[in-house]
Amino acid sequence: MNETIFEARDLSRSFSVGSSPLRDFADHFLRDRPPKVLRAVDNVSLSLREGETLGIVGESGCGKSTLARMIAGILPASSGERRFRDEPYESFLARNRDALKVQMVFQDPLSSLNPRLRVGDIIGEAAVLHGLVRRPQIKDYVADILSQVGLPADSMGRYPHQFSGGQRQRIGIARALAVKPDMLICDEAVAALDVSVQAQIINLLMDIKQDSGLAMIFISHDLGVIRHLCDRVAVMYLGRVVELTETEQLFASPLHPYTRMLLEGMPKISLQRRRFMPIQGEIPSPLSPPSGCHFHPRCPMATEHCGRIRPELREASSGHVHACLNIEPC
Amino acid sequence: MSTAGFKDYAQHFAESRAAVVSLAVSLAFVACAIFAPLLSPTDPYDLTQLQLSDALKPTGSTRMLPGEEVRANIRIDGSATSVQPATPAKTHVTLVAEPCGLNCLGVGVQPEGTRLANLQIRNLPAGATVEGARKHPVQSWWTVDNPEGGKVRIASNGPLPATFTFLAIARSMDQETDFVFHLGTDSFGRDMFSAILYGVRISVFVGLVAAGAAMVIGTGLGLLSAWRGGITDAIIMRAVDFMLGLPALLVGLAILAILGNGVSKVVLAIVIVQWSYYARTARSFAMSELGKEYVEAARCLRLSPARIMLRHVLPNCMPQIIVLFTLNIASAISLESSLSFLGVGLPLTRPSLGMLIASGYEFIFSHKYWISIYPGIVLLVMIVAMNLLGDRLRDLNNPRLDR
Repeated sequence: MNETIFEARDLSRSFSVGSSPLRDFADHFLRDRPPKVLRAVDNVSLSLREGETLGIVGESGCGKSTLARMIAGILPASSGERRFRDEPYESFLARNRDALKVQMVFQDPLSSLNPRLRVGDIIGEAAVLHGLVRRPQIKDYVADILSQVGLPADSMGRYPHQFSGGQRQRIGIARALAVKPDMLICDEAVAALDVSVQAQIINLLMDIKQDSGLAMIFISHDLGVIRHLCDRVAVMYLGRVVELTETEQLFASPLHPYTRMLLEGMPKISLQRRRFMPIQGEIPSPLSPPSGCHFHPRCPMATEHCGRIRPELREASSGHVHACLNIEPC
Repeated sequence: MSTAGFKDYAQHFAESRAAVVSLAVSLAFVACAIFAPLLSPTDPYDLTQLQLSDALKPTGSTRMLPGEEVRANIRIDGSATSVQPATPAKTHVTLVAEPCGLNCLGVGVQPEGTRLANLQIRNLPAGATVEGARKHPVQSWWTVDNPEGGKVRIASNGPLPATFTFLAIARSMDQETDFVFHLGTDSFGRDMFSAILYGVRISVFVGLVAAGAAMVIGTGLGLLSAWRGGITDAIIMRAVDFMLGLPALLVGLAILAILGNGVSKVVLAIVIVQWSYYARTARSFAMSELGKEYVEAARCLRLSPARIMLRHVLPNCMPQIIVLFTLNIASAISLESSLSFLGVGLPLTRPSLGMLIASGYEFIFSHKYWISIYPGIVLLVMIVAMNLLGDRLRDLNNPRLDR
């Protein structure tokens, strides 16, 4: 159970902004200006064990979705290394049928389903094409998958727009499950749903996890959902992981000031009057991130060297890493 | 699209009465094009049927059969007569001979009642004369001008020889027929109504084939451009910009000037002009579809790029491309007509609407309006109908105009 299914080392992804071949050419020769680069994900290292659920949490624009797409193999990495069961991604992704082992559930339940395909085709297409199931058996196969996600078998003849948001998300999950993945990445899979439906989908995901022992990466900005679902949590800020530990550890004794402020912002049921202390300031533009520790302009603990030194992840206790210069090693 | 969706769409479409009318008119033109050989009273491509005497007849006039000359050797052998036509071609009028009493032989023509300009009898035996005829000063040629009832009588004072042969030559007058040129005729004597029907056929055919081929090529290149991006995209899109920067008519003229005329070359010219519209539209819609999550999902399911483009992205771009197709049929037809009007499009023997308009242009100042005006009206109605249809389809596809 403790074997690593996925590992990322120093994974980075940058996008050049407003670029075209012609402008790059002009910039290179005429203006002598470096092209604008957005580092969406900046040297992220993390690993996922078989059967484990890893949560990734962070504000909008912190690079969660880019990271998810790199892990899913949809986006190439700018630098760094990805390994699936100790095999580098380059060779792993080249074998289409093995690459199916990594699947993804998307945020928007409507735009993630092709409006012109019937649900049966959406779910069954890849399984047939990759030879997981033969065409004559596809109806039974799809019906089976549909029942796993709690949809009636007659849904397969209908189109996505005929379903509600929660049902569509179930279709999206069914599509991922239909190719028998070992690892599932849920990118804000419940963010677009209302709260009661969120709970249904989360329960569904937990059932699936229990039944099939899927390893899961669950990306969300909702700490409550993360706490409910995940074994370990990584906190991201502006493209970097700032803290990574067991869920209970994180909620019990957060170390990084950003994590602490996030947790303080969580709504709680309490009889006392609370004052929310919002994190000061806006999230900085990832096009020109602050020097040193990205968080230092908003950090109450910031000292003068926070703006100069880029903090590396360091271990506070076993399995609990953080990236803050001002926490004394204990 | 599901049946319910289609019904909904049809209902939306029917909310505009102009759109319904234009759809009906467009379909009627397509039906005309398909059934032109059945609907048209004459075949304007059959040059042997054309008669110069029918040229430039105004609306509602009837066809005249021109006068012809018929010759036959008539041999009398006792009581039997035999007629051997000496005219090579097939004629409407044939000569007949029959006895008319003692020492008398009647010569006439079939069909009965054909008016003759004159009838000449040559090489009669001695003693025989033709009643009411004037004789040639030297030869034994007897000519009756305007014979009554189209018949002459050969008579003789004595008995006619038992066996003799003579030559009869009948010249018939122009005959009126009951065939009416409802829309007049052009300068070659073609029935304008038939010519317009066949012209619609050619125009619709050229429009559909050219716009269809341009759609396939342009959409393919647009999808390729959206999928590959980078240098491929840049090359294709600069080619599109180049094509869009040139006036369509000028490009068409230049291409036909090089290739010569003919239906296939006109189609080629229109495709070269029009593919760029489809390429640009397909690229932009494909780009917006490629940004959607279902494409990422398809890539995560490790489907091949060709499959993603053709089965996932293309069907979602099709509504917009079909609208463009409808609008471009109309512009392909008008481009073809313009080229034909300028004399570089289709050959004179297979006139399209533009060619018909052009051929009437030289007569329009001599009050022979029908050659240009009627094809012009037909072309106008056809293009307006197709444009209205395309506009309506475009409006239906534009969610911003949806209430």
